[in-house]
Amino acid sequence: MNRMRASKDMWLWISGAALVIGLALATAGNRFAAFIIGIVFLNVLWTAGMNLLYGYTGLVSMMTAGVAGIGAYGTVKLFLDYGWSFWFAVPVSAVGAAAVGVILGLPALRLRGFYFVLSSLVIQVALTLVFIYFPQFTNGDTGITQIPRPGLWLPGFGAVDLTGPGFEIILGLLALAGVAVVYMIIRSRMGAFIIAIREDDLLAEELGIDVTRYKVMVFFISSLLMAVGGAFYAVYTGFISPRSFDVLMSMNIWLMVAFGGRGTIAGPIIGSAILVPIPFLLQELYQIKDIFYGSLIILVTVAMPAGVYGTILKWWRVRRQKQNTAVAPVAIKRMPAE
Amino acid sequence: MNEILLDARQVEKQFGGIRALASVDVQQAVGETLGMIGPNGSGKTTFVNVVSGHLSIDAGSISFAGAPISGRRPHAITRAGLTRTYQAVRVFSKLTVADNLRTTALAAGREEGVKDSHVRELIHWLELDRRLDAIAGMLTLFEQRRLELAMRLALRPKLVMLDEPVGGLSAVEITHMMKLLGELKTRYSLFVIEHTMRVIRELADRVVVLVSGQKIADGRPEEILRDERVVRNYLGSQGA
Amino acid sequence: MVDPNLLIGLSMLTTGLVLGAIFALTAAGVTIVYGCIWLPNAASGQFFLLAPLVAWSLSTAMGWSPILAVAAVLIAGLPFAYLLERLLIRRFYDVPDRNIAYFVVTLGITQILSGVFSITWGQWSDQYNIPPLAEGVVFIGPFPLPANRLIALVGALALLGALFVGLRYHRFGRALRAVFQNREAAALRGVDVQRIYLGAFLLGTSVIFAGGLLYAMAYSFDLSVAWSMGITAFAIMIVGGPGSVLGALVVGMLFGFVQAAVSVFASPTAATLSYLLAMLVILLLRPSGLFAR
Ligand SMILES: Nc1ncnc2c1ncn2[C@@H]1O[C@H](COP(=O)(O)OP(=O)(O)OP(=O)(O)O)[C@@H](O)[C@H]1O
Ligand SMILES: [Mg+2]
Repeated sequence: MNRMRASKDMWLWISGAALVIGLALATAGNRFAAFIIGIVFLNVLWTAGMNLLYGYTGLVSMMTAGVAGIGAYGTVKLFLDYGWSFWFAVPVSAVGAAAVGVILGLPALRLRGFYFVLSSLVIQVALTLVFIYFPQFTNGDTGITQIPRPGLWLPGFGAVDLTGPGFEIILGLLALAGVAVVYMIIRSRMGAFIIAIREDDLLAEELGIDVTRYKVMVFFISSLLMAVGGAFYAVYTGFISPRSFDVLMSMNIWLMVAFGGRGTIAGPIIGSAILVPIPFLLQELYQIKDIFYGSLIILVTVAMPAGVYGTILKWWRVRRQKQNTAVAPVAIKRMPAE
Repeated sequence: MNEILLDARQVEKQFGGIRALASVDVQQAVGETLGMIGPNGSGKTTFVNVVSGHLSIDAGSISFAGAPISGRRPHAITRAGLTRTYQAVRVFSKLTVADNLRTTALAAGREEGVKDSHVRELIHWLELDRRLDAIAGMLTLFEQRRLELAMRLALRPKLVMLDEPVGGLSAVEITHMMKLLGELKTRYSLFVIEHTMRVIRELADRVVVLVSGQKIADGRPEEILRDERVVRNYLGSQGA
Repeated sequence: MVDPNLLIGLSMLTTGLVLGAIFALTAAGVTIVYGCIWLPNAASGQFFLLAPLVAWSLSTAMGWSPILAVAAVLIAGLPFAYLLERLLIRRFYDVPDRNIAYFVVTLGITQILSGVFSITWGQWSDQYNIPPLAEGVVFIGPFPLPANRLIALVGALALLGALFVGLRYHRFGRALRAVFQNREAAALRGVDVQRIYLGAFLLGTSVIFAGGLLYAMAYSFDLSVAWSMGITAFAIMIVGGPGSVLGALVVGMLFGFVQAAVSVFASPTAATLSYLLAMLVILLLRPSGLFAR
């Protein structure tokens, strides 16, 4: 049974990788389309982190963009100013960003409900101010431009060219890895615990689950995903500024998770795939992006709290449920021995 | 008397101006079934809440199985072997029965989840076999109470504190539940809060009476239920 | 000749007084809505800006007298708030964790409004000025104060006073406070909770609009006011204690003086940062605020 599931999973990931590579190669001739695909991949990675936090654990964090920003600025600093290899700078600054995120978020994680949301928002706004007012690290409001793409040397392949579709492939595989991490967590006992925390944290604690510990772990892992995404965003677009990582980004990522279907593996992917390209395709109407996303936030909250995929799933379950409803007979049986 | 399992001494709890627990002393021996009765708002649920770590105490001390537990987090107290149910039944109402049990089994360190032999026996005993795929919130109250009980027993506790286990059940269901509790009593130490005197009379080895946060009586049920002060302060008004 | 330091000090005091009164008023509007409906309005800063922007358009583009423009905006604010309550706010009255849902929804409103501002008013001007109602400078004892700021100050204080008296003695105010204290008990005593919610939302939103208008009468403003005021009002509410109008008054006044002082010596952003930190400290140490009942 377990082996069957494992091999089924394996095929799922392999076809995911094939799809990702196929998408990147198919758009290779059209830089505009390729760029949209690349940004979708980055958002899939970010939404995977947000999904773990919000979709599965029930924590609405508004400081996710700030953490991504720390990862981005940290990587760029190490990469450009200290001459580190990009591939070494990313994990170091991602772990650093996640650690900072946890240290900042730790006191807030003790708070419940709305107070946690508000604290995370306050931290996000403070981080944005820090990005603006510490120009020695961030170049302030102007931002950092012309960040070069890193080179990559693979044993057996030699130097790989990352200016073309190579980089989209890397972003796609990264996104896939992020989704796989979330998937594996959800399948594990930790997954059962964080869902329990989302459903009723007091009851989870009552059953012996160390709620704070799991919240911190989830926060750390999702911060890692956010920060890695931030680092790759920096070298992919070549430009970062405090505005790239402001509260609007946190809200947009939240929206993609909620719109696609929180607490499902496919939902956030669907959300990113639908919502990311829209502002690009609006072209000269790019200005109304905020109005569009803002309206969607309200619409999703009011009309479709389960999201696109969640709604489909629900409908499907109801159909299946109708086919097997059984009632338990009443007869007293022996109590099990201790 | 047997070895002491739960030992609460001079426990105080205030809510604003209300003194919900006023220097309450409660001792329970291993293997004993202790009943707690008292009028509405007399502090019974508050007592369970402070023992299980959901509320902090203002003064006094609580120890369980020989170790002090006041000030410890609820999950640590659960792991020490003390579990409780809620007056308003509490399960993960949006998850399936199977997922409720799986989560609990995993929390108790049973990696097999619902396939764990002990959990399977509990499912069978509490007749949840046919309901495993149902969403917990859609079950009848009696089924939810049984699920709640199954989850607590899956933790293999030393003490189960039940806050009004038959509250809201029909007469037939009460009889059924009492049979279950009667069997439970032979293996676990139980602490039972009830307004239904039948439950107390048939199950409890000893009864504590709370009125306005104060313990006014403590003894065998047949004496307590006839005690003049208890009748005047509680049973009289209840007409039981 | 007057000592220039003294002059700076005095103007700081009067600025603090005007800002403090406006802060307190706006935060009172936010805190009434939160205390009663459990609606933390993240869009309060945008509302605070929306009112004077409309008044600015009416008075400059349409040539209305400023008094008329301000009055028209205040009146038009009521149906605006009413529609918002009917269409959106009331859908959540029965949701258990509705403060989170509300926060997210009002963040959405924030995003919409800031998008709207940047493609409309943002294209028309960088700075906005509502023509002064009165010219000249008035001396209150040794305190120099431009006349239109005095009007704003008096207006803010009068509204605050009216709020206090109304909440304490008017029938509606008392019902509102009963809902603050205990929803279920109020409902059992026969208070129509949903009507109180509607009233609280209309009142709170109008008070925020009024705060924005008074601010615009005293100072010229730009689009960044929205987010700095949003943060300030939230910080005042959290520090003062959500639902506490007294807390809003005391902390609002305090923050006004802080803002006035900091703006002399450092950038206003430093003031905003200090509010953020104050809010964070209170959230972490005493989430019920300083003036919690
Ligand atoms: N979390 C709380 N905050 C404030 N007051 C509380 C809280 N919990 C209980 N109280 C008050 O403490 C007193 C005791 O309440 P408790 O729930 O313990 O009574 P009880 O004996 O369980 O009553 P019942 O039989 O109705 O369940 C009551 O006056 C109640 O209002
Ligand atoms: Mg009770």
